[in-house]
Amino acid sequence: MKRDKKITQLAKKLVELSKDNGIVTEAKVGEVLAGLKQVKHRHHLTVLKTFLTYLRREIALQTAVVSTPVGLSADALKEIEANFTKIYGRPVSAVTQQDISLIAGVRVRVGDDVYDASVAGRLQRLAENVH
Amino acid sequence: MPAVCGSSALSDSFLSNPVSSMKATFITLLLALSLPLGLVAAEDAHAVSHDAVSEVADHAATLTDAAHTAVEAHGEEAAHEEGNKLTMITDKFGVSLPTLIAQMINFCLVAFVLYKFAVKPIAATLDERQQKIADGLQYAEEMKTQLAEAERERAEKIKQAAADAQKILTESREQSKEMIEQKTQEAAAQAEAIIRKASEATELERQKMLSDVRQEVARLVVATSSKVLSRDLSDSEKQTFSDSAAKELAGAGN
Repeated sequence: MKRDKKITQLAKKLVELSKDNGIVTEAKVGEVLAGLKQVKHRHHLTVLKTFLTYLRREIALQTAVVSTPVGLSADALKEIEANFTKIYGRPVSAVTQQDISLIAGVRVRVGDDVYDASVAGRLQRLAENVH
Repeated sequence: MPAVCGSSALSDSFLSNPVSSMKATFITLLLALSLPLGLVAAEDAHAVSHDAVSEVADHAATLTDAAHTAVEAHGEEAAHEEGNKLTMITDKFGVSLPTLIAQMINFCLVAFVLYKFAVKPIAATLDERQQKIADGLQYAEEMKTQLAEAERERAEKIKQAAADAQKILTESREQSKEMIEQKTQEAAAQAEAIIRKASEATELERQKMLSDVRQEVARLVVATSSKVLSRDLSDSEKQTFSDSAAKELAGAGN
């Protein structure tokens, strides 16, 4: 579906309005949705879908998904959050995800960027370098 | 001897020229028919000579009878003997002067008529035929000359054509030789190119096979290593490695 340029700009502005100190919060999102409900936009459904897409993208950019076969300590997670907050220049929160296919180590995904420090990833890179 | 001379002329010219031979025959007939006239004239001459002899005898008698008696007797005897012979011939052949003259006139008339109405047209016809034959012979001679010329030109053209054919054949052989050499070189170049391409294809195939082998080996190594590591690593080792990796990622930006 081809999105209208105005709808896209409106969705991006709504996402900016959903941030509180640069972080998307549930309360802000609720306020924005309430405002949309009152405005009754002509393409209300399309605006909502576009807003949801950009909101998920923004949340993904603010979230560091840490995949590991075993659990990590809280200090390690905080260090990762601090490091990626510093790298991207915006608040990044870390969430853990168990993945036993990594064998050992950690893989962090922030948005479309992947940082792999796992045994499976290293073996995969080794195999690719052998080619 | 006019008759003998006429016969000789007839025999000489008969084969060479029919018109001349006819004329000669006609003249010969005239001469043969005039022979009796000649005999009469000879008889007259004999009479004259006989008178002369008598005169000589008379004159000699005046000089010396004794010395010339024998001569006179001898001359008389000879003249008398010759006169007797002529008389005997004319009598024997029944020749008389009026008859001879009439015959000569008749003969002249017949000869004139024959010459005017027979010999002359025939001679003209023969002349015409002779001219035609001569023209034909000349034409044949010209044709023969032209034939010889044409034969010579034909031989010359055949010779020229043979030379041209030989030249063309030589050029064709040279061109075919050059073409064969060129085609041989092209074939050699093509064969070399084919061999080179085949070598390159073989090398590429070998490289591809090696790559496939490496890839497969790597895949097997990775799979085996993964299985071995996931089976042999203990939880504590995995935890230690994960913490180490987390610290590594935490310090990646620094």
